[in-house]
Amino acid sequence: MNKIAPIVFGLLLLAAVPSRAEVRFDGFVQGLFGGRLDQHNPTSTEETASETRLQLRMEDFGDRSEFFGRLDFLYDGTQDTNQYDWELREAYLKFRLGSNFDFKVGRQILTWGTGDLIFINDVFAKDYRSFFIGRDDQYLKAPQNAIRTEYYNSLGAFSVVWSPRFTPNRLPTGRRLSYYNPMSGEIVGTGTGPQYYFEPAIPPARFKNSELATRFQHQFGAFSFSAYFYRGFYKNPTGFDPNSMSPFFPRLNVYGTSLRGATMGGIVWLEGGYFDSRQDQAGDNPYVPNSSATGMVGFERQVATDLTVNGQWQVDYMTNYDKFKAQQPPGAYVRDEVKHLLTSRVTKQLNMETITLSGFVFYSPSDEDAYVRFSGEYKYTDNLTFMLGGNIFDGKHHSTDFGQFSLNDNIFVKLTYGY
Amino acid sequence: MKKLIPHLLLPVLALVLIAITASAQDANEIMKKSHLAYYYAGNDGLAEVTMTLTDKRGKERVREFTMLRRDESDGGNQEYYTYFKKPSDVSRLTFMVHKMTDGNDLRWLYVPSVDLVKPISADDKNSSFVGSDFTYEDVSGRRWTEDNHTYKGEQDLNGTAVYVIESVPKEPYKGFARKVSYIDKDNFLPLKEEYYDSKNNLERIFTAEKVDTVDGIPTVTIRKMDNVQKKSFTTVDFTSIKYNVGIEADVFSERYLKTPPRKYIH
Repeated sequence: MNKIAPIVFGLLLLAAVPSRAEVRFDGFVQGLFGGRLDQHNPTSTEETASETRLQLRMEDFGDRSEFFGRLDFLYDGTQDTNQYDWELREAYLKFRLGSNFDFKVGRQILTWGTGDLIFINDVFAKDYRSFFIGRDDQYLKAPQNAIRTEYYNSLGAFSVVWSPRFTPNRLPTGRRLSYYNPMSGEIVGTGTGPQYYFEPAIPPARFKNSELATRFQHQFGAFSFSAYFYRGFYKNPTGFDPNSMSPFFPRLNVYGTSLRGATMGGIVWLEGGYFDSRQDQAGDNPYVPNSSATGMVGFERQVATDLTVNGQWQVDYMTNYDKFKAQQPPGAYVRDEVKHLLTSRVTKQLNMETITLSGFVFYSPSDEDAYVRFSGEYKYTDNLTFMLGGNIFDGKHHSTDFGQFSLNDNIFVKLTYGY
Repeated sequence: MKKLIPHLLLPVLALVLIAITASAQDANEIMKKSHLAYYYAGNDGLAEVTMTLTDKRGKERVREFTMLRRDESDGGNQEYYTYFKKPSDVSRLTFMVHKMTDGNDLRWLYVPSVDLVKPISADDKNSSFVGSDFTYEDVSGRRWTEDNHTYKGEQDLNGTAVYVIESVPKEPYKGFARKVSYIDKDNFLPLKEEYYDSKNNLERIFTAEKVDTVDGIPTVTIRKMDNVQKKSFTTVDFTSIKYNVGIEADVFSERYLKTPPRKYIH
C-alpha cells in the first residue's frame, strides 16, 4: 500500500494537470515585534517575536484542476543562530474526477467542525507557538501532508483525509514561550537550562501510524449536520513513558457529530465528541490520559451595526475519574471530573471596515484559568495594515491548560504590506 | 403601400396605449418591474466587478471580484456567489448568499488560508457590503413588497423620461425612512434613488452612471452610491457581463464555495 499509493496518485496528478495556464502571484511582507510582560519568565529570549516574513503565493488553474502554493521566508531576530528560516505552508493540487469526486493532494491546511477556537472533531494540527505570540490567524493551523478525497451525492458530502505521517500540534518549546513541566512541578523554559527545550518524538513513519480523519456532512435548509471519525494520536504529547522518561503521543480515536445553522437572527452550533484513549480505555494507566466525552454549544449574532458577539460553553467529562484521581501524586492539582470552559468573542468594525477591534476570552471556572486575546487593526490602505494586540494568560494552578502559560503574557505590533 | 400603413399604425397605437396605461400604472407595479429589471435580469448572470471606495479625504480603496447570480424564479429566491481577487488580504476568499424572499438570507464565507467555512448571521441587511457605501440589501435587492409606494408623476432626468416613485417602509427600517426613485420609463431600470433618514435628511444618493445593453438586456454597468452625510462614495464597474450562461444550481453549495467553479471564475 505504501509503495503503490504514490504511483497511483502520481498518475492521477498527470491526468489532472491544469489545462489553461493562468498563473497568478501575490503575497505579503510582514514585520512582527512582541515583548513579554512578565519579568521572571524562564525563557531565553526577552522578545516573544522579532521577525520579518515574506509570503509568496502562487496559483495556476484550469477548468477542472488548480495548483496552489504558499511559501514563507522568515528572518527571526529572537534566535541567536538559525535566524533564517522558511516553510512551505501549502502546496497542493486540487482536481475533480467525474462529477462526484474532488481531490486535494499535497501539503495543506485542514479545518472542519463548528467551534470558534474550540476544536473537538477538528483533529488537524494547530500551531500554538504562533497563536500565542500574535502571528496572523492563518498560522494557528499547521500544514499537514495529506490526501483529501471528497465524494458528493444526494445524501451529502463524504470526506476522507489521510495523512501518511502523523502531524502533531506545535506547542511552546520553552525557548520563546515557557510551559509547565510535570516532572519538575513548575513552569520551565530554556532560560533555566537547555534540557527544558521541549520537542517530543513523533511516532515512526509507518502505515499504521498514519492519520485518518473522515466526515459525512448533510445540509438541510439553514442547517448543516456532520458526523466525524478520527483515528490517530492525541495531537499533544499527553502520554508519558516511564522507561524512557519522555512524553509521547498516545493513540486516539474520536467519534463525534455537529450541527450548525442560522436561527434566532444568528448562528447556533452544537458539537460533541468522544475521545477514545486507545491505550488506556479502562483508565488504569496513570501515564496515558483517560477517555473523555466533550460537548459544546455556541451562538453568534450581530448585535448592532458592525458589532458581532459570540459565546461558547464547553463541557468535558472524564471517564473513570475515580481511578484518575487515585493515581495523582499528593499535593498535585487535580482537575474536576466535569470541566467547563466558557469563551466569548467580540468584534467591532469602524470607519468603513478599516478599523477592527477584537477581543476573545477563554475562561474555565473549573480549572480557574483564563486566556485573553485582544487586537486593534487599522487598514491604512488596501495594502498596508497596522495591528496592535496582546495575549494574557492567568491561572490559579500552573498545570492547567492556560495556567501553564501564565508567564507568557505579551503585547505585539505588526505591520503588513500585501502585494 | 396601403397595406403597410396598418402595419405601422398598429405598433404606434400599441405604444400610445402602453404609454397611457403606464402613466396610470400602479406605483407598486412599476417598482416590481424595476426590481425585476435590475435584480433579476436573465435567468442567471456573471460579471467582473471593480468596486472603488472613496472616503471623505479622497482616499481610495479598490475591491475586485467575480460575481455569479442565479434566479430560482423571477422575483423569487436567488443565489449569489462572490470570488474576491483584490486586495491581497482577501484574495481567493469566497462568499455565498442564498437570498430568501420570505425570511432571513443565508450567508457563508470561506477563508482559504485557514480552510474555514463560516456561516454568517444575516440579520442586519443594512450593514455595509465589504466596507462600501452599498449595503447587503443594495447588492441583492430590497423586495418591493416591503414598502408602500406612491406615484409622484413623470419627469425628465438628464434627457431620459422617468417615473418618480416615493417609497416608505411598511415596518420601521434602519436603512431609510423614505426613498425617492427615478425609474426609466422604457426599461424600468432605476436611474437614481434618494434615501432619506428618519429626520428626513438626505443620506445617500444612488445613480446609474452608465447603462449598456448586454445580450439584449439593458444593464446598469456603472453604479454609484454617494453617502452625503459621511461624504464618502462608492463606484461599481461591471465588465465582462454575461446573461443566461446556464450556471448550475449546485455551484451555490459548500462544495464550490471551497473550490471555485473555474468555468466561470478566472
